[in-house]
Amino acid sequence: MQALNNLTTQIAGMVLDRMKQRDQSFWLVFSPILSVILGLLGSGLMMLLLGQNPITVYYNLFRYAFRDIYNIADIFAKSTPLILTGLAFGFAFRASLFNIGAQGQFYVGALAAVVCALHLEGAPPILALLACFLASATAGGLWAAFIGYTKARFNANEFLVSMMSTYIAIAIMNFLIRGPLKEAKGEYPQTDVIPANTWLPPLIPHTRLHWGFLLAVAVALIAYFILWKTTLGYKIRVVGHNQVAARYAGINTKRIFVIVFSISGAFAGLAGFTEINGMQHMLIEGFNPQIGAEGIGIAILGNAHPIGILLAALLFGALKVGGNLITQTSEIPASIIGIIEGFVMLAVILSYYLQNKIRTWRSKKALKSREGVTL
Amino acid sequence: MNTQSGVKAVELRGITKYFPGVIANNNVDLDLNWGEVLALLGENGAGKTTLMNILYGLYAPDAGEIYINGALASIRSPQDAMRYGIGMIHQHFTLVPVHSVVENVMLGGKAQRRGPMRVEDVAREIEELGNRYGLEVDPFAIVGQLPVGVQQRVEILKALYRGARVLIMDEPTAVLTPQETRKLFRFIREFKEKGNAVIFISHKLAEVMEIADRITVLRDGKVVGTLSRTQASERRLAYMMVGRELKTPTRTRQKRSGRKILEVKDLVVKGDRGNLAVDHLSLEICQGEIFGIAGVSGNGQEELAEAICGLRQIEGGKVILDGQEITNANPLTIIKAGVGYIPSDRRREGLVLDMSVEENVILRRYFNPEISNHGIIHRRAVHTQATKLVQEFKIKTPSLATKTKALSGGNQQKLVVAREYITGSKVLIAVQPTRGLDVGAAEYVQTMLSRASAEGKAILLISTELAEILALSDRIGVIYRGKLLEIIDRAKATVEKIGLLMAGIRGERNAGVE
Repeated sequence: MQALNNLTTQIAGMVLDRMKQRDQSFWLVFSPILSVILGLLGSGLMMLLLGQNPITVYYNLFRYAFRDIYNIADIFAKSTPLILTGLAFGFAFRASLFNIGAQGQFYVGALAAVVCALHLEGAPPILALLACFLASATAGGLWAAFIGYTKARFNANEFLVSMMSTYIAIAIMNFLIRGPLKEAKGEYPQTDVIPANTWLPPLIPHTRLHWGFLLAVAVALIAYFILWKTTLGYKIRVVGHNQVAARYAGINTKRIFVIVFSISGAFAGLAGFTEINGMQHMLIEGFNPQIGAEGIGIAILGNAHPIGILLAALLFGALKVGGNLITQTSEIPASIIGIIEGFVMLAVILSYYLQNKIRTWRSKKALKSREGVTL
Repeated sequence: MNTQSGVKAVELRGITKYFPGVIANNNVDLDLNWGEVLALLGENGAGKTTLMNILYGLYAPDAGEIYINGALASIRSPQDAMRYGIGMIHQHFTLVPVHSVVENVMLGGKAQRRGPMRVEDVAREIEELGNRYGLEVDPFAIVGQLPVGVQQRVEILKALYRGARVLIMDEPTAVLTPQETRKLFRFIREFKEKGNAVIFISHKLAEVMEIADRITVLRDGKVVGTLSRTQASERRLAYMMVGRELKTPTRTRQKRSGRKILEVKDLVVKGDRGNLAVDHLSLEICQGEIFGIAGVSGNGQEELAEAICGLRQIEGGKVILDGQEITNANPLTIIKAGVGYIPSDRRREGLVLDMSVEENVILRRYFNPEISNHGIIHRRAVHTQATKLVQEFKIKTPSLATKTKALSGGNQQKLVVAREYITGSKVLIAVQPTRGLDVGAAEYVQTMLSRASAEGKAILLISTELAEILALSDRIGVIYRGKLLEIIDRAKATVEKIGLLMAGIRGERNAGVE
């Protein structure tokens, strides 16, 4: 207990020191962590209302999530598509564009992957996977490029267009799954299982973790590279901060809208590839219906930074794995995972508000001491 | 509200207002008597508008008290201000263009009145008020179709209708023609003679000397002093505003070489509202020459600059850069052709405030082979360039990674000037390059412009500061309603002559070039 006390005072001291140094990057890391803790506390209160001891629940959640190699691997497997939809939102967000339609782009990507895979029985695995990869990225990218185009051409609100396009994607998917793509048995609204040569091989044997995770990590690195190392990324960020200045800098903002949406949609489309070829091996009606919304939350928690998104997606993956198991083994309703995620998001958004307040307050204080005026 | 003699209409005590990174008002005291016009004079950015926005309830002060008619007042919103009889005429009107005059006046209602309002009653009241103060306007006209001067009249009527007895006018003449200005002044005098009070915000000395009874000068958010009109002179006020005697920096002028770098022929450009902003304007600038465009703001200056830079559609005429036509070329092509552009609004247009100094240095140069190849940015090259620029142009910044919004106004502008100095290998267009800058930074920017001309660049200097135009230009064109009324050699230019032209006195019929 004494040791714990010492540790907390030490940490508090470090935190205060860093705060005094006004270290921006420190806040970037610290505030999401604080938000997660606050979110867990908030959902803990909800568990009390359910008559559950939150400490036991969290302990079990943690224990289940990290129980064995299978579950640990599952965390990474579950986080794979979340990384991609998180990147989809985060990438567009860097250009101040709202891609709310990652869900639809994900479905379109999944459709492309499944169609591609079903036609490639017997092809060499590498070529088959490459084809599915390209098909899903292209499909998601083109689907989203249309959103960017309506914004560029008609000044349409991309928030609404991207959101509504998801419903169209769902309708198309349902039509295809119940029609031309319906399984040979003709029983359920789902496709046939895709041939084994189009499956993403497992990364760790006897677990569900597949090579798609590494793909997602690579995509995160690519997103980082585009945004901060290339002129395209530079232009995207300038457009995101100030469109008037972007025009002044000779940037064709309309073209940027289309490019950003294509890339963002391709990311979400790839989530369809990793889910179909890595996880489900078939397309089932209405599968993963929350993946787009969770991506938005993950991108916000990760500060729209690819590395932050990677970490946030892993956290959500762990919550899913642990959460699924506690709801199966106790009386806690499955919605508790959603509640935890929701509280975390709420805390993140609050922290942005507070950071702004603190910044204003500090800058006023700094001025005060510089000018020597009393307030 | 009674107006006993001796009781002040408005007293501000110790008003202080901070914005992130700036101190807008620092312990400001101000008195306004009934029956007087108080001018609030100061350079752009001196804190005049902030102070008045506090009095009008738009901002909450960080410290200080407001007394109305001798009693402590709590003004938290414009509604509160109106209840105290304070009305404000903003620089940018707060009217609904698609609504009629009556509807605009009715919007926001009337202080201390309940129940429904009848359009006819309000219209009659507007007409009465208009007749009483010489502010005639058709109550059923659509506001957006009225000329700017009449729109301002509607703003004033709106305030009067709500019972304003103290009128705050923020640079009311900036958008007016000389005739409209005379009319406005007549109204102000009448209004004050009826025992009301006016605060008149301006940075134009002549105007202030004409209309004000007393003048309070603000500089850097502080009150420099208050003078009665009899004590004041334009020179003294100028000294108080800028903190030094206005001295004319001299520049060794180049002999005009024959080579024309920038030619503008018969240019026609439309403004944001579809109006004819630039009206068949022609000019040419030679190597090493500074061509100054003087004029009251809003006469097509910004539209001209934007059209040359490809940022605004050209409806007619030509722009030729060093023999190459660049009419309606895209902005990037024009940047690459060597046209530097210092826009008037550095915070909104010239910089990306949320990006670092380094990233702003490459804003119009990111495609340059020195900085990027095949779409990949060379971090080290950017760093080297930024370091060089910051040192050479004496830009004060904590680091290259500092966001430009944290820099002072002067250093922000130095950054823009430095970048455009390099971007504009042939032409440099500077619009209001020293607006809102302190004296040191302003002088530095002016020095950079002369240096650019000495290096053989063609420079188009657009400024409303006549002193600046006279100090730097080789030739001066006076712009009035989108036309250059006359192009004068610096040697033959006098303040009086240009002043008359700025007011459009020469008459539009003779307009045209040379």
